Amino acid sequence: MSGMTKEDRIYMSDLNTGVFSIDELENVQITIGSIVGAIEQQMEEEKDVGPNSKPGIAGLRNWDFKLFDRYEPVYTPMCDQCCYCTFGPCDLSNNKKGACGINMEGHNAREFMLRVITGAAAHAGHGRHLLHHLIGIYGKDHALNVGPSNIIAPNTQTVTGIIPETLGDMEGVLDYVEEQLTQLLATVHAGQEGAAIDYESKAMHGGMIDHVGMEVSDIIQISCLDFPKADPEAPLADIGMGCIDSTKPVLLVIGHNVAAITNIIDYMEEHDLADKIELAGLCCTAIDMTRYKMEGGGTPKAKIVGSLAKELKMIRSGAPDVIVVDEQCIRGDVLEEAQKLMMPVIATNDKLMYGLPDRSDDSVDTILEDLTSGREPGAVIFDFDKVGELAPRLAQEMSVIRKEKGIKALPTEEEFKELTSRCVHCLACELACPMNLPISDAMTAAEGGNIEPFEILHDKCIACGRCEQACPKDIEVVNVIEKAAQKIIREEKGKMRAGRGQISDPEIREEGVNLVMGTTPGIVAMVGCSNYPDGTKDLYRIADEMLRRNFIVVMSGCSAMDLGMYKDEYGETLYEKYPAKFLKGNLINVGSCVSNSHITATTIKVAAIFAQRDITGNYDEIADYVLNRVGAVGVAWGAYSQKASSIGTGCNRLGIPVILGPHGSKYRRALIAKPYDTDKWNAYDARNGQTIDLPPAPEFLLITAETVEEMMPMLAKNCIRPSDNNMGRMIKLTHYIELSQKYLGVMPDDWHVFVRGETDLPLAKRVELLKILEAEHGWEIDWKRKKIISGPSKQDISAQPTNIKRLCKEA
Amino acid sequence: MVDVTKNLKVYTTYGPKSAKAIQPNVAAKMMSKAKRPLLVVGAPVLDNGLLERAIKIAKTGIPVAATGHSMTGFVGKDVDASYINIHSLGTFIGDPNWKGLDGDGQYDLIIVLAHKKYYINQVLSGIKNFTSLRTLSIDRHYLQNASMSFGNLTPEVHLEALDELIENL
Repeated sequence: MSGMTKEDRIYMSDLNTGVFSIDELENVQITIGSIVGAIEQQMEEEKDVGPNSKPGIAGLRNWDFKLFDRYEPVYTPMCDQCCYCTFGPCDLSNNKKGACGINMEGHNAREFMLRVITGAAAHAGHGRHLLHHLIGIYGKDHALNVGPSNIIAPNTQTVTGIIPETLGDMEGVLDYVEEQLTQLLATVHAGQEGAAIDYESKAMHGGMIDHVGMEVSDIIQISCLDFPKADPEAPLADIGMGCIDSTKPVLLVIGHNVAAITNIIDYMEEHDLADKIELAGLCCTAIDMTRYKMEGGGTPKAKIVGSLAKELKMIRSGAPDVIVVDEQCIRGDVLEEAQKLMMPVIATNDKLMYGLPDRSDDSVDTILEDLTSGREPGAVIFDFDKVGELAPRLAQEMSVIRKEKGIKALPTEEEFKELTSRCVHCLACELACPMNLPISDAMTAAEGGNIEPFEILHDKCIACGRCEQACPKDIEVVNVIEKAAQKIIREEKGKMRAGRGQISDPEIREEGVNLVMGTTPGIVAMVGCSNYPDGTKDLYRIADEMLRRNFIVVMSGCSAMDLGMYKDEYGETLYEKYPAKFLKGNLINVGSCVSNSHITATTIKVAAIFAQRDITGNYDEIADYVLNRVGAVGVAWGAYSQKASSIGTGCNRLGIPVILGPHGSKYRRALIAKPYDTDKWNAYDARNGQTIDLPPAPEFLLITAETVEEMMPMLAKNCIRPSDNNMGRMIKLTHYIELSQKYLGVMPDDWHVFVRGETDLPLAKRVELLKILEAEHGWEIDWKRKKIISGPSKQDISAQPTNIKRLCKEA
Repeated sequence: MVDVTKNLKVYTTYGPKSAKAIQPNVAAKMMSKAKRPLLVVGAPVLDNGLLERAIKIAKTGIPVAATGHSMTGFVGKDVDASYINIHSLGTFIGDPNWKGLDGDGQYDLIIVLAHKKYYINQVLSGIKNFTSLRTLSIDRHYLQNASMSFGNLTPEVHLEALDELIENL
């Protein structure tokens, strides 16, 4: 730029992104994609950024340590050995140290963190892929639109300080996420981080980052793909293996990234194939298919088969003619299983390619020829226009070919009899089964003509196939179960509300006060996978009970799908029975896995909108607010994947407790408080900085429950918060006591610790409870006025509880 | 006398340390000798004749930690049973400041009965690695992470083994 006058000179601070021409230079255009530091500069100019903007991996360590002081990490190792490096294997049992110096606690904390960042990377990788794809189509200036909300990206804004407005703004957000994940992964190397507690803080960081990555992923697809935008009237989609019409060509998609699948839907619409091909999905891609182009309502453009547990079952049914996979929760043996039944597999994402050739540059006709002839079992195709055309055409051709060849999947009646009689009842299958299901007894019953035990096993079995590998008689146990359950499978027809995305600002404005005061008894957010301890119906039982009690029930991912499989006595699913606004007694489906970010976002919005807290770059204050005031509990009843651990951990750092099903104990670590340790149940009063007593709830941040019956009272109890007003506490205590009596058969032994005065007591039981307080706990009661004179701990209802000293006035 | 130590197969291993196989009469002796035993009973106790055996054991004076929703089986049965979440129990049980379910202090022998195998093995793993407590499984699966355990048993043999154990208490 030499020779320029001062007036000609361009200052970096004046630059904007976009395409520019220079008058003196013909045919020259300059494109400025992004300017390093531009968003930060804009933020500084526009408003103050909070104290925690873009925290590094130690940036919120003080907050984490406050949490761990009460919620102690509890380790239940999956393995006593460490096999990480060539020093090992090392025996770490009894908390011994390995050759690198790390002990059992540290190793398990590291293992847990690794699970968390694996999950976070899965979502962030998904988001980055989707962002590239959508920017390629819509451009960086495409505006973000999530519905009637001013706070577009609550997690992003709270963690990074960035208030994104366009697709391009999300690049900087993901840059931050990716940097954090790299730094976290680096700590796994060798023994280096010796303190388990610091690995725990890092796990929390990974969980928090995950909710940012998920939020980016879902917001950009909501904004570009015409998904419902905070819509309580989002349409109902068909769900269940029984709703798949296999007389048509069946095109099955599996995974979590809907990018390529939108091209299939578009092609089918453009070529009038929507009624001619059965487009069905498994896992979160299925959910997002039913959101595609549903902004204005209508009929979802695909059907949902179900969750991960249906994957092998659906393939083994023989119904699919073609399988398209993208990424994440997809079995490693899809190609192997599909090949046996002559189903070509199209891989559309570089995370999962099954060793197939990359045919992205070949013509659709050539690939079609290779796949229909069986020369190749499948193809990798990154060109989504080609995928869009190929998959439907291939499904139509393969449907004919497979019928002509008489491809047979499940055993015939005769083969079924032969298989069940082949069983020698060695119990190897039961030993191998992750649930130790009673397969041997079911074989005996089936041999005698009674298939009911197998019908029961069908819902409990996650179709992992370990039993088949263990069987010395080579019985394909999954096929036997599925054959026996054909009648039940035909009846698996339900409805799921398509994911609505965020909770809007106006909804928070209406309901926030009830949540903070406790008059809405709580939010129960049911998330996660399908590794249930006792089948899918558990979800229905939980949601039904809590909805009847006016809790807000929020669903996402596999749980959202499995809930839609069950109907009441009138033939209605809960999605049909309950409205879907953010109000007490409503049932909401936010969407797929990445939509889980809207659950944490909701609690952030309560702080921002109801309490007028500045959320920008202000994570610890907002988490402190949520922990002390928002009665929300997460349930990941079938938690299985690494993603489930990162989602849950992100909730934990924000102050939301999570209950896992019993399989969740295999995540190796929980965060459990000790209600009997009274020193841990206090906080500051923000009005004056004085120490105040707190009720012992939530009494964990991460824990497992053994059965649904056990979990019901846990849910009600752990929605109790210090901020409950008397009416709110009374409502919550009523549910806690009633659920304990209903499901455990007894009064809970700790209900009295939540009583601050007689007006907290459930109205219908007030006298009875006052008598118990007097007789069993020695409280003084004024019986004339039915008032408590002395006894309860000093929990000041008007106090402003906080765990952060700087938020106190005196500070 | 039923032999419950023949089948100690595991599908996957938790590591180099494994529970010592134990016969019902020896288990009974240990339980009788313990000063502060605790019987931890899970929700599967409500199935298949296990509850009456658990109650018989409890009636010998051994307090019951009723996990899951097993408490429903002990209501009105005149035994010392209390509900507790098993993940919490596994945490508190190694804390010297915990006063126990009855306020009388720590336990010296943890006996487990009627649990999901994968779940109780995780709880026992925590106790094994981070406490010095002795744990005894009288369940029908061989639990590698216990200090002592019955082997893998059919439901019928398991009931026989429990009956023999009860006779020896």
